[in-house]
Amino acid sequence: MNLLYWSILVIALALILFLPRLGLLALYKNWRTAYEREQVEDALKHLLDREQSGRHASPESLGGTLDLSRANVTRLIESMETQGLVESRGAELHLTAEGERWALHVVRAHRLWERYLADEARMPLGQIHGEAHRREHSLTEAQLDALDAALGHPTRDPHGDFIPTREGSLPKAEGTPLTAWQADRPARIVHLEDEPAIAFEQILAAGLRLGQTIRILERTPQRLVLSDGENEYRLAPTVAANVTVAALPESELLKREAVPLVELAHAQKAEIVTLDEAVQGFTRRRFLDLGLTPGTLIYPELQNFFGDPRAYRVRGTLIALRKDQAAQIWVKPV
Amino acid sequence: MTTSIQPNDVLAKAEALRNNLSTGFRDEIVKSMYSEAESIAHRAVKTASDKKYDFDQKIDRLVTSPITGLPIMLLLLAALIWLTVEGANVASDAIATVLFTLGDWGRTLFEYIHAPWWITGFVWDGIYRGLAWVISVMLPPMAIFFPAFTFLEDLGYLPRVAFNLDWMFKKAGAHGKQSLTMAMGFGCNAAGVVATRVIDSPRERLIAILTNNFVPCNGRFPTLIMLATVFVAAGFGGFTSSIIAAATVVGVVLIGVGFTFVMSWILSRTVLKGEASAFTLELPPYRRPNVSRILYTSLIDRTIFVLWRAMQTAAPAGAIIWILANVPVGTSNLAAVIAGWLNPFGVLLGLDGVILLSYIIAIPANEIVVPTMMMMYMGAGMMVDGPSTNEAIRSLLIGGHGWTMLTAINLMLFALLHNPCGTTIITIYKETKSLKWATLSVVITLGTAFLVTFLTATIARLLGWA
Repeated sequence: MNLLYWSILVIALALILFLPRLGLLALYKNWRTAYEREQVEDALKHLLDREQSGRHASPESLGGTLDLSRANVTRLIESMETQGLVESRGAELHLTAEGERWALHVVRAHRLWERYLADEARMPLGQIHGEAHRREHSLTEAQLDALDAALGHPTRDPHGDFIPTREGSLPKAEGTPLTAWQADRPARIVHLEDEPAIAFEQILAAGLRLGQTIRILERTPQRLVLSDGENEYRLAPTVAANVTVAALPESELLKREAVPLVELAHAQKAEIVTLDEAVQGFTRRRFLDLGLTPGTLIYPELQNFFGDPRAYRVRGTLIALRKDQAAQIWVKPV
Repeated sequence: MTTSIQPNDVLAKAEALRNNLSTGFRDEIVKSMYSEAESIAHRAVKTASDKKYDFDQKIDRLVTSPITGLPIMLLLLAALIWLTVEGANVASDAIATVLFTLGDWGRTLFEYIHAPWWITGFVWDGIYRGLAWVISVMLPPMAIFFPAFTFLEDLGYLPRVAFNLDWMFKKAGAHGKQSLTMAMGFGCNAAGVVATRVIDSPRERLIAILTNNFVPCNGRFPTLIMLATVFVAAGFGGFTSSIIAAATVVGVVLIGVGFTFVMSWILSRTVLKGEASAFTLELPPYRRPNVSRILYTSLIDRTIFVLWRAMQTAAPAGAIIWILANVPVGTSNLAAVIAGWLNPFGVLLGLDGVILLSYIIAIPANEIVVPTMMMMYMGAGMMVDGPSTNEAIRSLLIGGHGWTMLTAINLMLFALLHNPCGTTIITIYKETKSLKWATLSVVITLGTAFLVTFLTATIARLLGWA
């Protein structure tokens, strides 16, 4: 009798351990493969990032970015070399053509995910980088193409970085770091660096966002004071170096004479000038579907008893918008 | 000879040109579509006068003003619920009489052909009685509530409610249209869950789905009203007692609404974290309601749909209830034995084993909780109505089964907060297509119910009230 119990126990244990696909061993193997792949892909991204900024990666920089010990870095590089992804030239690491192709694939996945998470899932901007990083390793080429098409072939991610195309071309980043921008000349924020996360959180906490028009009021070694015409923003120079700006495009010049819809007085008629750059994806489509297109006449007609939301008369219908939404529509009183 | 153009050439050309598009080209496309539509409308549509429009504006100012807006809203909701509860009583009794008479005929037929007693009991006192009970108590309230609700919807009033209440939902991280699905929940939580389709952001829609059960549906109102009348308002006479009973039910409803907000707030900061979505709400012009459309959407889309799902779960529940009450264990029956096991846990929550067992077997439909409870308390072999007078119910429960005021109050709280009924759980699963959210909807509500009743029971006992 005892023997029977023991054999059942042993068989059950063996099944739990060795069952194909579901056993603990198989699960560990899966996890291990995924982990190794993630490590390789993160290494490729680091190399690409270095090459784009004109420097080359070294085993030390790689170890620092991935937080790996020396022995592990060496093992990783060896494995990538046998896969034909990198070449060591002295202390420098170079991507091979295959390595670059794969690296661009991962970067494309990361940035498309960020676009999706920000526009369609509407996650807070501070969280999308981490979430995209978790998801970037799991998509195939075909799935990425489908995501790309579903998002309407976006060219930039929510931080302003270019998204590599399917063919693998990645335009050079444009703009000047805020720290090097000439004071008093109006500029438009074209990129917010999301790494390190602490600096990015500070930029978001200060209230700066992509597409905003700003001007430098004061520059000292301790701080930079910026203004967007209404609010003042203070940044430490190390944080400000993560903000990239460029000269104003034409649409911004339009916006400078406009006010946000939320500021219109009751029954004040106005004409829509443009929808804010920060509004993309789902929200922008929704606005356009409701007929909030440039040139349309609009005026506030009905107010909720707590002031928010307000209902606006547009094209003969009454549409209620919350304050946050109405702040993203730029209008010109008529 | 002309060179033919291949589809792939067109695609390649488009691909190449795409990169040269300006970023705002989508806005331009929509803008040109609108201007085209506008010019067509301008040729085809003639606007007569602004009279109707001015009238609409007057109503809008009335229903959204701080002084008149809120009272109008509450009055309409109260009228809707009163109409449903009062009107349904009469119709329910009539339907029950017919269906139970049919059941008696069926029994007689089975006895006439000498079917074994357990087949007769299983079929007629179990399955059939479960079905008949659910139909007779569920159909009339829905057949009154849904058309009335759809009437307000068709009139154009409901979007104004969402407009009025949006600021509260915004604070909780939810969508203003959740006020509508919540109101629909008073009719039936399953219908409320389906109604969340009007919320276009997935995150806010899930919040609305997971919290819908915190407002009591038609199936739970009779339990609340019975407890409020028989226990809370017991010591008062005549008119005062009905005021107290009504105030108690309103209080319970308000607690439910409070839990809706608290749970929405918690969800939007934990598992359903995200940006507030684009809140856009169209306030359509007031229209004369279309009667045939109201009847169709409310009766076919809502009433029949929910009733059919409820019947599918009520029949097996009826069978199980009959088995529990009729399988003898020693001198007692299976139901009493299981209730005995559950009793310590029930007492911990200020309830008892019979109540917990009733809620377990009445998962398919809340309507059969009270009849199942009464069956066990009275030792009957099938679901029964309780004693006919309030005094008799009190003496049965307080005298015979050790109920206190704490039991009554905690049962009201448990009825308000406990897990969604089977129909609603299935609906949540079908709407979200996810076992995870369906499970979470049960865990959240049941967890809240256990926690709240445990706390009230413990506090009441510590203070020596019970």
